[in-house]
Amino acid sequence: MFFVFGIKAQNTKAYELALGLKFQKTEQLYWENGVAADFTSDFLVHKKIHLKLSYLTSRIGSAFLSNAIRQDNVVFGADWRFRSDKDFQVYAGLNTGFFHADMELPKFDVLPHNSLLLQMETGFFYKFKFPAAASVSLGYNVINGDGVNLPGTLFPVYYQLSFFYYLNNK
Amino acid sequence: MKKNTINLIAILFFSILVACNSTPNIDNSMLDSGMISYAIPDSLNKHLLSANMPNPTPQQLNTPVIIAAHGYTATTFEWDELRTYAGNKGTFYVSQVLLGGHGRSYTDFKKSTWQDWQSAISWEYKNLSDMGFKKIYLAGSSTGAPLIINMVKTHFFDQYTLPKGIFLVDPIVVSSNKTLTLVGLLGPVLGFTSVDLSNGEKGHWYVYRPQETLKQLMALIDLTRTDLEDGISLPTGTYLKVYKSIKDETADPISAVMIYKGIRTSTGGNVDVEMENSTLHVFTRLAGRDIETPEQKVLQQKTFADMENIMTK
Repeated sequence: MFFVFGIKAQNTKAYELALGLKFQKTEQLYWENGVAADFTSDFLVHKKIHLKLSYLTSRIGSAFLSNAIRQDNVVFGADWRFRSDKDFQVYAGLNTGFFHADMELPKFDVLPHNSLLLQMETGFFYKFKFPAAASVSLGYNVINGDGVNLPGTLFPVYYQLSFFYYLNNK
Repeated sequence: MKKNTINLIAILFFSILVACNSTPNIDNSMLDSGMISYAIPDSLNKHLLSANMPNPTPQQLNTPVIIAAHGYTATTFEWDELRTYAGNKGTFYVSQVLLGGHGRSYTDFKKSTWQDWQSAISWEYKNLSDMGFKKIYLAGSSTGAPLIINMVKTHFFDQYTLPKGIFLVDPIVVSSNKTLTLVGLLGPVLGFTSVDLSNGEKGHWYVYRPQETLKQLMALIDLTRTDLEDGISLPTGTYLKVYKSIKDETADPISAVMIYKGIRTSTGGNVDVEMENSTLHVFTRLAGRDIETPEQKVLQQKTFADMENIMTK
């Protein structure tokens, strides 16, 4: 569908705002999918810093029509983009946010089901010739479940695939 | 600069090679040495009902029997206290199986698969069913639990007398130590991991955990998790109850939630789950621990009594 657009996402605009879809697979655990936004501007070190916001959930991933735990992630983060003036970029960043696992029954309320998120992430970002982009990344949850104080389905390593569409392409 | 880089890479590869070839220092006092084998016939048969009761009477065949399966790196020692309890009460029997690869030696353990571990449970179940025992139950602690769940999932029991019930104590579907999820990547570098045992536990658990068996454990629990996500139905008439410590540094308590969501009775009902106020992994085993509190003893005996009540009601 992206090929219907014939113009390249311009790096000359004062700011860039992109919305998209994000697909996350946690190593040895769930698919968690959702939506994401990416923002940068000239005042963010000439677009070398990107601010991110995403919501990912297993409800439209592994828990969809299955018995997997329903869990939600709200993530805020910032990336540093290397080669920020190029189509093919490399990035590294830090995220924080909130994790919630739905225990569904009162008898399981004694278990930890909420946690702060702290993530390190790195990946590649590619801007197409039309106002869209894709990225793949590898992340690490610095805070992960320990069976005592943190939710058991907060696993350390995850992979992401994202697709973005630039809203201010005109 | 280029030469330095090549040297650095060479050192890195050499370090990995050394790490891959590392073997643990095993002394004769360790179960790992093979000098204290639980698998010699006298030791093995002592715990198996099929070996101890070759010609059961009709009354004995109508008495409930629990096949008790221990956890990863453990031995039949883990269920000794249930056998003592059953002996005192006289209302049920306990048949303690030694999982394949366990209680033997580091070498035997290293080359075993989770299917080998499971085969001991299947073998004893078949024996007791063939002998005519009518009220067969299973108890699985820690890794014993996913081994039993897999037997349900694969319809193993369909060809034998169906089990009356299944008890899972601190079952592991998710490890508390999340580094285990990276064993496929880190395993070859680690070679093995080790645990500190109390004086009372020495000789009853392996000290060293070869990365090959950690991979087997990860494969088993990952399979169990996905099987539970798809849904598992118990055999007709089979009861299941989970007893789970709310804080467990080995088997993440979320495992109980996954089992509750993933297993249904044959009529579509929920299984029973009891969350226990305990910080022990396999809280029903107090023998060999450095500290045993009155509260832990009460919980252990209460759980044994609950299992007995379910079997004899």
